[in-house]
Amino acid sequence: MKRVLHLRPPGQQAMAAVTMVLGIALLAPWPGPQALVHAALVFGFAINPASALLTALWAAAGGWVLEGTHRIYPHLGGTPWADMTVALLARWLLLEWPVDSLKAWMGRQAVLAGLWILLVHLAVRLAAGPHIWGWTWAWVLLGLPLWSWITWRWQRPGGR
Amino acid sequence: MARQHSPWGWSPTGRRRWVLILLWTGHGAWVLSGPKAGGAWAGFTSAAARPVESVAAAWRSWRLHRAERATDLARAQAQLDALRQQVQTLQAAQMADAPRVADDEAAERLLGLKTKVPLPTQAARVLVAPVGAAFGGLILDAGADLGFTRDQGVIAPEGVVGRLWSVGATQSEVLPADAPNASIGVMLARSRATGVLQGTGSNRGEIRYLNNQEVVQPGEAVYTSGLDRVFPRGLLVGYVTEVKQGDLELQVKVGLAAPLRRLPAVLILPLPSPLEPQPPLVPQAKAGGAP
Repeated sequence: MKRVLHLRPPGQQAMAAVTMVLGIALLAPWPGPQALVHAALVFGFAINPASALLTALWAAAGGWVLEGTHRIYPHLGGTPWADMTVALLARWLLLEWPVDSLKAWMGRQAVLAGLWILLVHLAVRLAAGPHIWGWTWAWVLLGLPLWSWITWRWQRPGGR
Repeated sequence: MARQHSPWGWSPTGRRRWVLILLWTGHGAWVLSGPKAGGAWAGFTSAAARPVESVAAAWRSWRLHRAERATDLARAQAQLDALRQQVQTLQAAQMADAPRVADDEAAERLLGLKTKVPLPTQAARVLVAPVGAAFGGLILDAGADLGFTRDQGVIAPEGVVGRLWSVGATQSEVLPADAPNASIGVMLARSRATGVLQGTGSNRGEIRYLNNQEVVQPGEAVYTSGLDRVFPRGLLVGYVTEVKQGDLELQVKVGLAAPLRRLPAVLILPLPSPLEPQPPLVPQAKAGGAP
């Protein structure tokens, strides 16, 4: 039996996603914190249990804004595609196998984050060619307790 | 019984699915197209932007050249001002030096004449050169203080000037050759005929006592003959300007070579040595007495 999801109002969902996208744009000079906000958007605030299309659109928006602020790739599009794919996968997992504990949530987010990191680099390599890895992946993994806890609270309003 | 809508059909849910699939696959295709697609897109946008870029480049070049022209013009104007100032300074210096330069040139010419004339001459500066003076004209800045005496010949690099008419302590007066009361013994260059040049004014003179049989042509040079005992033989006096047959003698008009009214300095010739009378020839009586 499937769990009943706690859906956020559409306006609240959109405001949260817009805030995250703006955060990505404003944090362009600091790639580490920007990666944390990016991860929070893809794994939490972009995911809309009621609409796969909105999930994909917000995740892609975050990816496009991130690559646009970097302005280092000759051919953009790798990050938004990876964001879209992982966000859709996370949404599907959330709908099909919802978790009840923060620990399980964090474990799943860690796996998804690893997959996301690899997929982003693969897509960017396909799109723009070889590129440096940087240290944003480490920020994402080390900051996982923070953004994972935030997304946990966002997906379960009321702290239940 | 309610109709079952297919999730892949033309329903709101189906349309959202198709949009999602198109969105995801479109992104994927864009990613897989790789950097070459970006290069092609960049090439297309570059080609599309080329006309605007060329216009912008032309506009920028025009503005740059205009600025350069303005800069060059300002620089040239500054140089022109500096050169004008320099020219004014040089002109002022030249005007200040003009008297000295004229004196130097006159002195140089006198020096050249002095080396040509094998006589112990003395130089004097002309103070005043009044026009049309009958008796005496030029006033020199030297007189008895340099040992000048009356009737000493006065010459210039251009030719004969006249003779000393009166001598003061520190100044002397010259009777110019064109004065009506002046006369110089002259000789024609080609015919070697001699006569006396009498002044007729205005830097002119007339040769008197020339035989009607002499052949004289205008333009012929006239030199001193040395017979007047004032000027040595061979100094240039002037050139024949007009020749007329007279009743008894030729009327030969001469234009004097020396500009008598524009001489800055002159040379004073020494007085000729007085003629020594020779004793009359007396036939010697033969020894033994007259027969």
